[in-house]
Amino acid sequence: MYVHSRNALACLAAAFVLSACDGRQSVLAPSGTDALSVFDLARVMFIGAVVLWLLVGTLFIYVTRINPREMSRRKAEILIVGGGVVFPVLLLGALLVYSLPLMNAPRLADEGLRVHITAEQWWWRVDYELPDGTRIPSANELRLPVGTRTGLVLNAKKVIHSFWVPALGGKTDMIPGRETFQSLQPVTAGVYRGQCAEFCGASHALMAFETVAMEPEDFAAWLEAEARDAQPPATAPARRGAKIFAREGCGGCHTVRGTDAVGQVGPDLTHVGSRKSLAAGILDVTAEDFADWIGHTDAIKPEVAMPSYDFLPREDLAALGIYLEGLK
Amino acid sequence: MTQITEKQEAREFHAEATSVWRITFGPLLWAVHFVVSYSATAVVCAKGGDVGVLRLGIGIGTFLALAGIAWLGWRAWQQWDTLRNRGWENDTGTSQDRHQFLGHAAFLLAAISFIGVVYVALPPLLIESCQ
Repeated sequence: MYVHSRNALACLAAAFVLSACDGRQSVLAPSGTDALSVFDLARVMFIGAVVLWLLVGTLFIYVTRINPREMSRRKAEILIVGGGVVFPVLLLGALLVYSLPLMNAPRLADEGLRVHITAEQWWWRVDYELPDGTRIPSANELRLPVGTRTGLVLNAKKVIHSFWVPALGGKTDMIPGRETFQSLQPVTAGVYRGQCAEFCGASHALMAFETVAMEPEDFAAWLEAEARDAQPPATAPARRGAKIFAREGCGGCHTVRGTDAVGQVGPDLTHVGSRKSLAAGILDVTAEDFADWIGHTDAIKPEVAMPSYDFLPREDLAALGIYLEGLK
Repeated sequence: MTQITEKQEAREFHAEATSVWRITFGPLLWAVHFVVSYSATAVVCAKGGDVGVLRLGIGIGTFLALAGIAWLGWRAWQQWDTLRNRGWENDTGTSQDRHQFLGHAAFLLAAISFIGVVYVALPPLLIESCQ
């Protein structure tokens, strides 16, 4: 029992340290303009709080232990009015003046690119809008160019969600029937994890997404590829998977551009094989994980709208997995 | 003799009625500033009005409210008369004590109202959009 709990403690400590080092979903490893200013604010507040705590503590020890004499009336008045009224009012006022303008940046307009993100239960509909009005639908992953401010137009389908990529910026609620806006400006290329930050039902904790910040030229190339139709399946198993996809009516809910699948209920799968995660940040993009997901949706994501295709033979699920993984 | 003093007391007690009213004026200005600022912001943001004009308006309203509260505070400070008469307690029930106590209360309420108005005004003056 003792060894057990010690192991558990060690694991907990390791998890804590590792999660802090990883930084893919941490406000302590800021990689966006807005996250950096929030981090600065947090440091100012924390250091300020520590200094104040030490000052008050020292003063308390001084008047109760070191020099516990009766104070002159004048001294006491200065201490109470000065330390209890004037000082906190000025300090809080200064902190307000410093912190309030920080709220402007995340509301700044985009510099050309806008991404419409609609929160569904429990995934993200993503739609890139270019300055010329062209729309490029995608899902469950957000790609942003480094160095420019991209606007995010946020909506929700049925319940309230909240959009949050801790390493890039603050969070913004996504409210059904009410459009909200936030912009993000990554400063270093990398992959950061976003997470729904407002309880939205059974699989709220399983509603995540990867955010990929790319150098502008890489981003332009990726966007061009994303705008294309799906590649036709290249291998025999993939072609078999495509047939099963059509036979089982997957296209009733999902779109694979360039095929007959034009459903709008679930995520767009045109380039699902090139994403960094499957099922909104939960699984890896491998043929095996696709097969697992399609066969056991409700076990992996409780109460999800997509039915489990557990009646399909293993070979069919495997073929579907190969087909979808090949949709690069 | 006693009767005269009682009459005089009653008259002075009555005279303080206006200053009982006066202690509410600071918080009243704060409340008006608060309601007007918040409702104007809500209306302008919901109907898509000019945020610049709104912020200018809140700035002018804040200046007026602060000037009014500062004047009330100054009047109350004089009535409290704490520099000449350095007692924090006014608890003897004489007309002078009542007079000073009301000044004291009005001054403290003016001070908190001043701070309240400044803190209410800071967000619209420092944040440039409705979002």
